[in-house]
Amino acid sequence: MLSRFLSKESQRKRALKKVEQGVLHDYLSTPMVNKDTVCEDLIIVSLDLETTGLDPKKDKILSYGFVEVSHMTVRLAHSSHQLISIEEEIPEESAVIHQITDDQAATGIPLEEAMPILLRQLAGKVMLVHYASIEQNFLDAACRKLYGAPFVIPIIDTLVLARRLFERRNHTFQPGNLRLFNLRPQYNLPNYKAHNALSDAVATAELFLAMATDMFPNPSQCQLRRFITQ
Amino acid sequence: MEIELIEIRDFLAERPPFNALTEEQLDLLPKQLEIRYLRRNSSFPPEGTTSNHLYILRSGAVELHDEDDNLVEKLGEGGIYTTQCQLIDISRASQGVATEDTLLYVMTCKTLQALRDAEPSFNEHFSESMRDRLKQAVNTLKVSNNNNPLEILTAEIQGLLKKAPVTADVESSIREIALVMSAKNISSMMLMQDEQLVGMITDRDLRKRCVAAGVSPDVPVSDIMTTDLKTVQEDTLIIQALMIMTKLRVHHLPVMRGDKVVGMVTATDLARHQSTNSAFFAADIRKAESLDNLASISERLPELQYQLASSSATALHIGDAISSLTDSITSRLIELAQLELGPAPVPYVWLSGGSQARREQTSHSDQDNALLISDEMKPEHADYFGQLAKRVCDGLNACGYIYCPGDAMAMNPKWRQTLQIWKKYFNTWINKPEPMALMLSSIFFDLRPVHGEFELFEELQSEILGKTRGNGIFTAYMAANALQHRPPLGFFRTFVLIHGGDHDDTFDIKHRGIVPITDIARVFALDRGLPQVNTTNRLRAAAETSILSQEMGENLIDALEFIASMRINHQAEQIGNGITADNYMSPDELSDLERRHLKDAFRVIQDMQETLENRYQGGRFR
Repeated sequence: MLSRFLSKESQRKRALKKVEQGVLHDYLSTPMVNKDTVCEDLIIVSLDLETTGLDPKKDKILSYGFVEVSHMTVRLAHSSHQLISIEEEIPEESAVIHQITDDQAATGIPLEEAMPILLRQLAGKVMLVHYASIEQNFLDAACRKLYGAPFVIPIIDTLVLARRLFERRNHTFQPGNLRLFNLRPQYNLPNYKAHNALSDAVATAELFLAMATDMFPNPSQCQLRRFITQ
Repeated sequence: MEIELIEIRDFLAERPPFNALTEEQLDLLPKQLEIRYLRRNSSFPPEGTTSNHLYILRSGAVELHDEDDNLVEKLGEGGIYTTQCQLIDISRASQGVATEDTLLYVMTCKTLQALRDAEPSFNEHFSESMRDRLKQAVNTLKVSNNNNPLEILTAEIQGLLKKAPVTADVESSIREIALVMSAKNISSMMLMQDEQLVGMITDRDLRKRCVAAGVSPDVPVSDIMTTDLKTVQEDTLIIQALMIMTKLRVHHLPVMRGDKVVGMVTATDLARHQSTNSAFFAADIRKAESLDNLASISERLPELQYQLASSSATALHIGDAISSLTDSITSRLIELAQLELGPAPVPYVWLSGGSQARREQTSHSDQDNALLISDEMKPEHADYFGQLAKRVCDGLNACGYIYCPGDAMAMNPKWRQTLQIWKKYFNTWINKPEPMALMLSSIFFDLRPVHGEFELFEELQSEILGKTRGNGIFTAYMAANALQHRPPLGFFRTFVLIHGGDHDDTFDIKHRGIVPITDIARVFALDRGLPQVNTTNRLRAAAETSILSQEMGENLIDALEFIASMRINHQAEQIGNGITADNYMSPDELSDLERRHLKDAFRVIQDMQETLENRYQGGRFR
């Protein structure tokens, strides 16, 4: 747990020493984005994973969706949605949430094929998520399992940003207030009915644009450190 | 394959212009968009973009202002900002501001152009020509309906002409004519001299004027033909032809295109074309024996308007049909009154004013009328005309044409005068156009003879037009009057957007949409001394002069047709629901497309009003 106190760049260098040649080695060879970088000079990847549960040790990734954000603009041309095939049956209680059936999951690609795509997409960029521990922990678990080394990336977590805003403004809030679809109406963002990994990634990206303009008049000119949460 | 970003796709798919795209194009569309967010009070379009874009509001609101900072448009959810992608700034909005937190979908103009090139029906929405957009608006109204039982009311007579006209030289003998008629199995023939129609002969004429009268069949047909012919133009409505026949008690009407004969229509043709309730309206009215009779026929008028509106009839034709029936009711009331009062002691003509005169009436509007009496009138005749006017106005009221709130009716002695007095009235109004005169202008500067000696009216009309033609001061006053009713700017969510940025829940489609156009057309007609009274005809005639460009004329005509149709449909809906028809429309009733088209129509009016303002005001009378 020492790694928590190290910079992302130090974490990257340590992990790079452990990893063999391959996809993760390539990923870790790209320097982490410097926190002093001005937002308009970097690409943020809003990512969402659907999983069979909350425990990265035993639960599986069912799909991913991502979309790039740059210059405070969501670039739908740079978006993707991918189902991931798993060997066991999808537990009913999680299927209710992500609505991915076994039949659909069977059309997906194996995790071994999905991870290289994701890692190439994320290299040298910032990951944007709502409630980071799921994405961070599942990707970390996948990297450790497939490549024997941890996953390292700078993270912007809109849930953490929201909590900070509530606290800074001395507003009382319930945990439920911090959920993605409860935060959006505050910023006059539409209610999206469909939920899949991509639409949630887009919803998170839009929430980020709204929060960034709420926090700073000209967010493109801000340094990344203003937003980074991990 | 699973459709990605289905939320965005579906949002676009359900609203124009994107609903004109194919399913496949829609599936691919979201990936070609970007998303931007504007916090409240930030400027629009968003700063920091180099290329040009189309903006679609996903949520929030944006106000657009012109160079003088006047509000010209307010966009809400689904609103589209096209300015950057068009060669001509058709919106005339130069800058904007987000008045709420706003989420935008952004498309490059290049992507838009590719879609426009691929999909003609999508492309139509982006037409930079107001002409094309209005044409398209009017076309959307023309839903074909072939099985229309009321077709007779709005169909033109030319639709009945199937055979080439059968004519003969006027020098032919009666025998020759009779042989042709027998061979062709026809009941009448038109007789020509130097390619001009000079007379007509029917089966009946052959019986009565030849055989029964002992005239030799060898004499020229010109000896027994009818020469005092009533003809109709080919674009006359069938129902009007029917009314002419019943009124004149004739069974044959030559049909003309200009002064050229194109056919003949007979009572039998019309009867064959008649159907259930429709055309019998006119016939029923002419046969009505009492006021009660007329009143009960008249009760069916709203139902008729409803049925017409549900059919493919245009607003122009519906106004024409309803006005014709009001004319018939008026005429019949006069005839019934005269059955008791006796014939008029001196010639007179009953005049209708306002919408009836313009042939733009919808069922049961107020009555506006006047009585024009020959200068031969003696003081002792006043009582006769007073009684006649009272009976007719009371009768109209009983038939649902309520008394004019402004008292502009023949039962008011002030509006029951001799030609000489009427000329004086108009002289005063034209020389001193005071507010009172202007208030009455929409009634008395739109007059049409309905019953009696039409020549009396013609004399008055030429006197009026002689005085208004080129009369700068008078037309300037009339123009100022025409600027009193301004159309709304457009719509925003469930509101009507009016000048100055205020909101209303409803708008009066008559006073804010139709009246401005009729007022403008009246200014042109009076300025140029045009005898037309119907607004469309006035605009058409004005566009032949230098006062109005052809294109602007056509735009105004289409704008009027679209707005008037919206009004008629609105009223039809109310009548269908058993509610009294009114002119108040709420934006909730309008589809996105109708809003767009209405906005275009309003824009045409605004442009014309601005032109009028410049042309007639500030002492610069043209």
